[in-house]
Amino acid sequence: MKLSRRNTLQLMGGTALAASMLGPRRAFAATKITVLNWQGYGTDEKWALEAFTAATGIEVVHDYFNSEAEMITKLATNPGAYDVVLINSARIEQAAGQGLIQPVDFAKIPNSAGLAPKLKDHDNMQYEGETFGCAWVWGMNGLGVRDGKTDPDSYAALADPAWVGKVALFDDAVTAVGLGALATGQDMNDPKDLEAVKTFLQSIRPNLHNLWTSEDQWNKAFAANEFDLSIAWSGGVVRSFRNGGLPVHFVVPKEGAIGWLDGLAVPSTAPDVDAAYAFINYMIDPDFYFRWATEVGAPASANVDAMAKLPEDDLMKQVHKPDYIDTMSIMAALPDARRDAFNALWQEMKAYYAAK
Amino acid sequence: MSAGPATTAPALKMGGRRLPPWVATTALLLPAYGWLLIAIFLPLGAMFLFSFMTATPIGNKEIGYTLDQYKIFFTQPYMWQVASWTFQIAFATTLICALAGFLAALALARSGLGRSQWIFLILILLPFWTNGLVRIFSWTMVIREGGFLDAVVQFVLPEAGSVGFLYSRPAIVLGLVHGYLPYMVLTCYIAISTIDDAIVEAAESLGARWWTVLGRILIPMAAPGLIAGSVLIFVPVVGAFMEPRILGGPQGVTLGTVIEDSFTQGFNWPQGAALSFMLLAVVLAIFATFSGVLRRNAQW
Amino acid sequence: MKAFGRLYLCLLIFFLYLPIGVMIAMGFNASPYYQLPFEFSTRWWNELWQNQDLLEAGRNSVIVAVIVTLIATPIGTAGAVALHRREFPGRNFLRVMLLPPIAIPWLITGTAMLVMFYWSGVGRGFHAMLIGHVALAIPYVVLVVSTGLQTIRQDLEEAAMSLGSTPVHAFFRVTLPLLTPSIIGAALFAFAVSLDQFVISYFLATPGYTTLPVKIYSAIRKGFTPDINIISTVLLLASMALVLVYAVFSKFGAGNVRR
Repeated sequence: MKLSRRNTLQLMGGTALAASMLGPRRAFAATKITVLNWQGYGTDEKWALEAFTAATGIEVVHDYFNSEAEMITKLATNPGAYDVVLINSARIEQAAGQGLIQPVDFAKIPNSAGLAPKLKDHDNMQYEGETFGCAWVWGMNGLGVRDGKTDPDSYAALADPAWVGKVALFDDAVTAVGLGALATGQDMNDPKDLEAVKTFLQSIRPNLHNLWTSEDQWNKAFAANEFDLSIAWSGGVVRSFRNGGLPVHFVVPKEGAIGWLDGLAVPSTAPDVDAAYAFINYMIDPDFYFRWATEVGAPASANVDAMAKLPEDDLMKQVHKPDYIDTMSIMAALPDARRDAFNALWQEMKAYYAAK
Repeated sequence: MSAGPATTAPALKMGGRRLPPWVATTALLLPAYGWLLIAIFLPLGAMFLFSFMTATPIGNKEIGYTLDQYKIFFTQPYMWQVASWTFQIAFATTLICALAGFLAALALARSGLGRSQWIFLILILLPFWTNGLVRIFSWTMVIREGGFLDAVVQFVLPEAGSVGFLYSRPAIVLGLVHGYLPYMVLTCYIAISTIDDAIVEAAESLGARWWTVLGRILIPMAAPGLIAGSVLIFVPVVGAFMEPRILGGPQGVTLGTVIEDSFTQGFNWPQGAALSFMLLAVVLAIFATFSGVLRRNAQW
Repeated sequence: MKAFGRLYLCLLIFFLYLPIGVMIAMGFNASPYYQLPFEFSTRWWNELWQNQDLLEAGRNSVIVAVIVTLIATPIGTAGAVALHRREFPGRNFLRVMLLPPIAIPWLITGTAMLVMFYWSGVGRGFHAMLIGHVALAIPYVVLVVSTGLQTIRQDLEEAAMSLGSTPVHAFFRVTLPLLTPSIIGAALFAFAVSLDQFVISYFLATPGYTTLPVKIYSAIRKGFTPDINIISTVLLLASMALVLVYAVFSKFGAGNVRR
């Protein structure tokens, strides 16, 4: 995010690169597409958009959401407004079930040939036998540990008195319950024993210093030495280390990380489907990813070719080992009742923490 | 104060014909309340309806009607505690603002500042024009352990421990007082600046002590300002979620954050809406309770 | 006593500007995360002027806030006058109805507007955003102007009328000048409400149209950089200069002489 502005200086290089990469200019004269995404999440990198527009003639504008619920709301109340939407694969079933997005036509996304099959055809992406999202990036919520501290090997460390007052959790119901489930040896998408999850989360209270809701808050608090051990985003940790020089590294404990897979989808009411696919194709292009990952900091690409392009010693690549794709649990669609139960449990936990 | 004379409001004279008074009243009210009707009351009415639904009415799910959302205080007993924290925070904020704002208005109007009191007033109001979130993040820099406050304290008293109090309810109150104080200063100032110096001087020349002047003249005359300021502060603070989240940390659980969570994390509009309307009901009940006091002093 | 009053005012102003001082300082700190020790840098200053989006967002915010102030202030003032100078059934009910827009968190009101505007065909866009902003500003204007109306002696207006003025004439010649400080105060608040309004702009503006608060609030998920501090500083100093110059060189303070 923060490097994007500096990157504008290197605009000319990027433009030339993109032009050569996308081949001859296709006819998209004066087309404009609207992308719905988190702000600062790849699709709105200025250099990338300028390169994309130069290569295809398609102009890209953005609208943002601040929570997945808002993404669904905006899709539902703005038919015809969006051409591309970023969607956590755990939300595909919901969005497709409501008729908000359309099946992906991979024939129009040449770069999809490089997608890891496990991610491209992941259960999360499917609804009634069709694929509704194009796998884009994946990442993990694991442990962010301050350099110089002993690396914990288990989530149990969050409740270990050795870290008293030095722990931060991510204020997100699905992540918190997932954490409790993994720590107690359960399936994070369907923990049968919510009481055990609750007991584990309660045991963190003496250590808990803060709850963070955004990467911004995490960075500022970590930079001020508020905590040493936290639930953190894999990509966020790499960004903070590389761009902000914060002394932090990412640890995947033995219980495994809480994985997630983000996809790009085309809303069923998209005004310009072809241009949308052109944009998605560009987003999974190895050259775009290389620059995004090395200069800005990104989660792992679902595109094997893109990951291969990164140098072996690249931190992004070291953190996001390809094995994880097979081993980690990925956040899956939750039935309403279970989602409500997760939210209620986390709300109760927060009230418990607040009562300290 | 302004009750009686309104009854005598004569009919408007326009183009020689006399229009009935209700025409003028309607003309004055219609823009404001028409606007509010379209932009606020109708949407909130829909939200009120949603609060009785079983699920968020977006998408193609079967929607049923239920009162369950209004039972949250019984199904989730910890909500009582959350509500109690919320109202403690709101009362503390309002009280501190009332005290500090009243004194500020008094100081503005009665320190012989002349025309420069406008400059001071504007200086007090202008921080209001900066972004709330940036202001809150700046406060975290000041009050965290090892922050600016600590640096100053340790410069004066090198032996002193940390006085940082980030992630506590007092921190939330501090942020809220900072954010809402200008309302109280302005409304109190509007009320106090109309007090005639001659009244105060007359009272003093008759031997009234300062507390008599304060209790018999200044506070009663400032009452409309104190009341309007309290409304403008207490009412939004009860539902605040930004300050509790960032300054309160783990302590920052309030009705506002629970409502926000049910809209953002939970995608459970019925629950968030039900909580909002219960909140509104409590706020209205509080003002109804105090309305006897209010009516004696002023209308708001 | 007067010296004490002035001292108190100075302390209060110090308190109010403390975080703003921090905000400015962090705008000139090299670290993107407000990290200490402080290291002077003009990096964010330079980045701001290259960041067209942010500058445009800042400009949009000011334009919207000015328009909102110009619409909401007269409408709210008229409403307040009716509520306090005229007798009609349902007056107390209308007063109470000013509370819901303030009491219900903006997020809920914003969501409700989004859904309602979608269903009713108002849709999204500049007009929708303006409708929302003005609506949220109106209760603040009414409440502040009402305070002023309660403290103004109404017998002056009546005296003017008994001398042959029409009510309209008496209002404009007697009450309105006395009310000016309240109206200006109300306008300042309307401006502030719009300038900091995030949810409404974010739900109702045309995709691609951003205001400063929208930029800031949606940036925190991934992190906002201190160029936000710089633009906030520039906006604050500019408005401060404007208002103070206006206050000094105009009859701004005249409303104060009102006995």
